[in-house]
Amino acid sequence: MAPLEPYTYIQCPCSDFSPLGQPADASSPTSAEEEEEEHTFDPRAPRSNFGLYPLEYLLYCEDCHQIRCPRCVAEEIVTYYCPSCLFEVPSSNLKSEGNRCTRSCFQCPICIGPLSVTSLESAPPDPNLLSPDQGGIPHTTYCLTCSYCNWSSTEIGIRFDKPNSIHAQLAKIRNGGETRLTAKERKERRKELSSHRGGGHAAAVAAAAAAAAASEEAEVVDLETQFANLKSFYNRQLADPNASENSLSTLGDLGFSSPSSLSRIMNLYTGGRLNDTRTKSRLGIMREAYTPSEGLLVANLDESDAIAKLHQTTLEDTSSMDQLMAQPPNLGEPQLHGEACFASSLRPIPYLLRTKRSKRCPVCRHIISKPEAKIQNTRFRIRLVAGSYMPSISIKRLSLPGANGSSSSLVAGDFLEPFKPVHFVLTFKNPIFEPLKVTLGTPAKTPGRFPSKVTVLCPTFDIDANTDVWDEALKDNDRESSVRNTDGSGSSSRRQRAGTVGESGQFQVEAGKVWGRGRNWVSIVVEVVPASLQLRNKDDVLKEDEDILEIPMFVRIEWEVEGGGDDDVSGQSAAGRSGAGTGEQKEKRELAYWCVLGLGRIKQ
Amino acid sequence: MSRRALRGEYIETDTGNKVARKATLVGTQNIVLGGKTVIQAEVMIRGDLIRSIQSSSSSSGGPPNNTAVAIGRYCFLSRGACLRPPGRLYKGAFTYMPLRMGDHVFVGPASVLQAASIGSHVHIGAKVVVGEFAIIKDYVRILDGTVVPPNMVIPSFTVVAGQPARVIGEVPEGGHEAFELRDLYKTVGNNPQPAPA
Repeated sequence: MAPLEPYTYIQCPCSDFSPLGQPADASSPTSAEEEEEEHTFDPRAPRSNFGLYPLEYLLYCEDCHQIRCPRCVAEEIVTYYCPSCLFEVPSSNLKSEGNRCTRSCFQCPICIGPLSVTSLESAPPDPNLLSPDQGGIPHTTYCLTCSYCNWSSTEIGIRFDKPNSIHAQLAKIRNGGETRLTAKERKERRKELSSHRGGGHAAAVAAAAAAAAASEEAEVVDLETQFANLKSFYNRQLADPNASENSLSTLGDLGFSSPSSLSRIMNLYTGGRLNDTRTKSRLGIMREAYTPSEGLLVANLDESDAIAKLHQTTLEDTSSMDQLMAQPPNLGEPQLHGEACFASSLRPIPYLLRTKRSKRCPVCRHIISKPEAKIQNTRFRIRLVAGSYMPSISIKRLSLPGANGSSSSLVAGDFLEPFKPVHFVLTFKNPIFEPLKVTLGTPAKTPGRFPSKVTVLCPTFDIDANTDVWDEALKDNDRESSVRNTDGSGSSSRRQRAGTVGESGQFQVEAGKVWGRGRNWVSIVVEVVPASLQLRNKDDVLKEDEDILEIPMFVRIEWEVEGGGDDDVSGQSAAGRSGAGTGEQKEKRELAYWCVLGLGRIKQ
Repeated sequence: MSRRALRGEYIETDTGNKVARKATLVGTQNIVLGGKTVIQAEVMIRGDLIRSIQSSSSSSGGPPNNTAVAIGRYCFLSRGACLRPPGRLYKGAFTYMPLRMGDHVFVGPASVLQAASIGSHVHIGAKVVVGEFAIIKDYVRILDGTVVPPNMVIPSFTVVAGQPARVIGEVPEGGHEAFELRDLYKTVGNNPQPAPA
């Protein structure tokens, strides 16, 4: 099993049981408090999956003084752009053209790599492959090629006349090189057909059907044409008053397709009157499409062609599920509408657009992250990340020299031996310009089926402010000496170890003392006795990642800020300001949250 | 080059570059280092692959621009990495094009780069292959073992992985500082300092 890098995840308050916006029950504040104290956060609970984030993923709302995670922020799209050509797409284009790049950016349908336009040296001799306007004149053609898997669009019979605006060209070509009607051309053709047929009047339908079926059976009706046919058919049905003189009218309004039965059903839900006579009189009975010109598409149940083709191909010629998933939907290709069995029916995938998004606090609606609108600019106008408000926690396994023979050869991410105490150094780094007071709380035993014993050797400590590096460098000398004078044991002086050499020459960690201290960081020691992973019943199985030793830890940080300024804090969250100070007085702030320390895997 | 550094593992230049003695730099006159860049042992930079056809703008007057590899500040090339300018047919003749790299670019061990340009604050993991003329923008993380296909464009704030590379995530807002390589720069050299806590 892969070794585990120690990690720290922080719980976002949005996943807590008590909803964010609602204040706690005022009538019983004591019971709520008790509940809170008894409730220990279980990192393995299914709910925790949605609330735990690494510090980098968290944002911080300065107005609510609360952590915000990717799940609870409200996102707003600033810009849409193509990830390949990095051109911005205006939102008006987005409505008309969809969420894919309409320039020449395509992905390989086989391997998802980028496709590039390559010129084919000589024109193919077969004139059928060329589009009709070229005739037989030799002329360089272009194709899309993948430089990762060497796929080329010539494999599906697609060649282009121009090296630019590939998207528009591809829309006109079907796999195999046949031309495909665009929406505009289809409209024009429909007009021609309908005028040719004399309006397609409902009364003439029965007579026309036989003739139309004969003429249209041969040609393949593609999905766009079918949809357009169906749509115009239904529109005609709705508009045509003569539709009620249908032969089916004897069945009254009981048929599935009658609009009155539909409106009756809808009335049941909306609570309207049954048998709305007005709508009944206005809408006649509708019939369903009967001919291909009306949009009827007969399902092709004869799959012998596909089976015969499968007999002659290898597995590689068939398309995989991933490839089908990557295909853009609504392509209008009949073979992609249902299932495309063959790789030859896949089409180049236009790149999906990407977005730049700004983020808002869900409670106070203030913007907490806002990138620059320009694509090339990577700066942010507003970026309130949690990492600049709360201490980061890094974990290191402590190998005490001489404590045990084996422990000196420890590597990070090594397995933890059951029942063998191990020490971890947690380093808290203060990012703010005020000194922090940190209080830690952990349950004595980790929750779950395999309770490991946890002891935080120093649960309360102070971290110095994150002052300027140069201030520190200049002050360094006298501070060091003064600290040593005041504190005899030297535990708080720079990089001094709190551990002392015991009688037997072994290093021991002292309880109640910090392990190390620096400009804006403090490290403390946590002792853990991992549990054994012995299962009580033989039928029990070890669940996934149940062997990871995870410690839930409640962190409470307190600091003081200059009073005044922002006093519009509504004390709705536990982490609001608690001090009543106004004006020049220093104001006390606190932030409390659960986090999870993943220390390592226990040896089985 | 100071006299003191002659004995160490690294050659430290006036601009703060730390170049391992065991690194292979070919065509050093065509390699530009921005300063404070670390080049570890067994790294190979192919500065000899210069463009053989000058672009029309620079050919008219002035000395030809022969830079093959341009590296910014605070870059870190781990052991066994290889930088190789990409080459292609241009107007009927084969030519190499310069490889440009921004600031704070980490290149993992045994990675091979043939990108056209790599932005700033980019983390490239171990055993990554970046194909010819790939363009990697700023704040990009490429995970270990990724194969970036030729001509691919990786936009800013992207995490990519896989063979071929595909976008698997976004760099969160709070993850920008993790790309800084100032601290890493201090931990290598002839008198390395321990990493800060």
